[in-house]
Amino acid sequence: MRIARRRIARSLIVLILCLVVVVMLFPFVFMLVNAFRSKDQYLAGSGFSLDSWKELFKYLPVAQQLLNSTIVTAGSVVLIILVSTTGGFAFSKLGFRGSSVVFLAILAGMMIPMQSIIIPEFVNIARVAHLHNQYLGAILVYSALGAPFATYLMTTYYRGVPSELIEASVIDGASFWDVFRKVMLPLSVPAITTVAVLQFIQVWDDLLVGLLFLNGPSVRTITVGLAVIQTGRVVNVPALMAGSLLSALPAIIVFLIFQRHLIQGLTMGVNK
Amino acid sequence: MTTTSTPARSAAVVRGGSSGPSGSRFRASERRAGLVFALPVIVLEVLFLAVPLVQAVYYSFTRWDGLTSTWIGTANYTRLFGDPTFWRVVANNLLLLASVPFAIVIPLLVAYLLNEHVRGWRFFRSVYFLPTAISWVVIGMVSLRVFAAQGILNHTLDAVGLGFVNTDMLAGELSAMGAVAITFIWSVFGTNTIIFITGMATLDREVYEAARVDGASALTTFVRITIPMLMRFIQFAFILTLITAFTALFSLIFVMTGGGPGYGTTTLEFYVYQQGFKVGVFGYAAAIGIVLFVIVFGISLVQLRIFRSRLD
Repeated sequence: MRIARRRIARSLIVLILCLVVVVMLFPFVFMLVNAFRSKDQYLAGSGFSLDSWKELFKYLPVAQQLLNSTIVTAGSVVLIILVSTTGGFAFSKLGFRGSSVVFLAILAGMMIPMQSIIIPEFVNIARVAHLHNQYLGAILVYSALGAPFATYLMTTYYRGVPSELIEASVIDGASFWDVFRKVMLPLSVPAITTVAVLQFIQVWDDLLVGLLFLNGPSVRTITVGLAVIQTGRVVNVPALMAGSLLSALPAIIVFLIFQRHLIQGLTMGVNK
Repeated sequence: MTTTSTPARSAAVVRGGSSGPSGSRFRASERRAGLVFALPVIVLEVLFLAVPLVQAVYYSFTRWDGLTSTWIGTANYTRLFGDPTFWRVVANNLLLLASVPFAIVIPLLVAYLLNEHVRGWRFFRSVYFLPTAISWVVIGMVSLRVFAAQGILNHTLDAVGLGFVNTDMLAGELSAMGAVAITFIWSVFGTNTIIFITGMATLDREVYEAARVDGASALTTFVRITIPMLMRFIQFAFILTLITAFTALFSLIFVMTGGGPGYGTTTLEFYVYQQGFKVGVFGYAAAIGIVLFVIVFGISLVQLRIFRSRLD
């Protein structure tokens, strides 16, 4: 009796969880199915063709924009890893006069919404640094936005490395740079992976910064290109779905491979 | 979060046999190296975060077109607080906040079910978390087809014989906001579920066993044990969702509604963009941005206080 009731309860749970799966997977299925239909087939709700892909390539310089996304994302991720690992080493193990205050100030950077500073940022990049429509401008802005959390993550991680390890290397005549390169970096590969995955998704998926700082069809990222043709009232839904699928694919692949790291990064904020 | 490594560091130095001048020399070189290593991140944050913030505050007191600025005191703020559109936009933000409880309670219930570890629960978890990887642009793109007049929602209603409740959700101000809010809840569902699952994994199984032996129902254990013990995680998810609602929906609104119809779905963050880059009043837009900053910074400080009090 008791076991039977338990079995029913479990089946009910599975049923509910499956319903949630339908709701969560629906947009992906919709995207996938309709990307491979022509406009007429989309309206009819059946069939299969590659028409919409041809259409998409007509609307959007797809290869160029995928390349733009790759350059901007890779550049930002590399720069963020660079400054957050060196910074993390400094704040956790070396220290300097006032380093704890500086560390707190950098953490406070997480609390600044992009929209609050976007206008002076735009004017600085465009009129002062002359980096408008250049990859570097967007990379610097993305890095400044991502580095506070990354630095927090790396600092926390490096605090767990025994100080004796550094001490011993220094006594053996290693420079701090050697210690950083040969001890700290190899030890922190898991944390660096987490930072890389989080920032990859952040930058690849972003619209606002790309929209303003890389504002020409040839320098746009794929996410921005897609958003712009959508608001340009392109009503060819299958072509838009093909574009959505294409722009989402790299992030989905990264997600599937590095899911564990993503969860770790997310729960860093609460699991201290 | 606020502690530095100072005690551990000096302890290490002492252990290294540093009673003499060599120890203090070591420490001095360590500090020099510390500054050098911290310099890249400091320069980056000062140039691209701190300076623009100071500029934003300054320019919010000016009339500014990007080239020349004129000091006009608090005129931008008086104009802003007297502008009915601004209050409409603030009201929109409050409407969005009404969706936050749903974005907490639904994931909480689902996480509770997932925590029963039925067969295939890892698969379910992965699927629920998947939207985290997808851009708001793509999410908005699909969501638009769901809520459109000839969209999936209305077709589904037709198919099940509920065609008479068909509406063009994106055409009405309030219903368009509803469509944005539903999409928002869908998008943060996975993140919050993961947070709660992680929290539940830290709970002591024995407490549940004891409750079960005492004859407590599933509902009782959920309300009396799970929720109180998860409070830290619930607060974290709540703040995260709140900040997302205020600062991360630009792309979704851009793609789904463009802030319309009218000002129906224009939120503070979208209003900054509109005033700054569509209308071109940089000083005024900067003032709106500062209001947003004050709100988000306030929420973050509350979060810090909560965590501080938990740590003590």
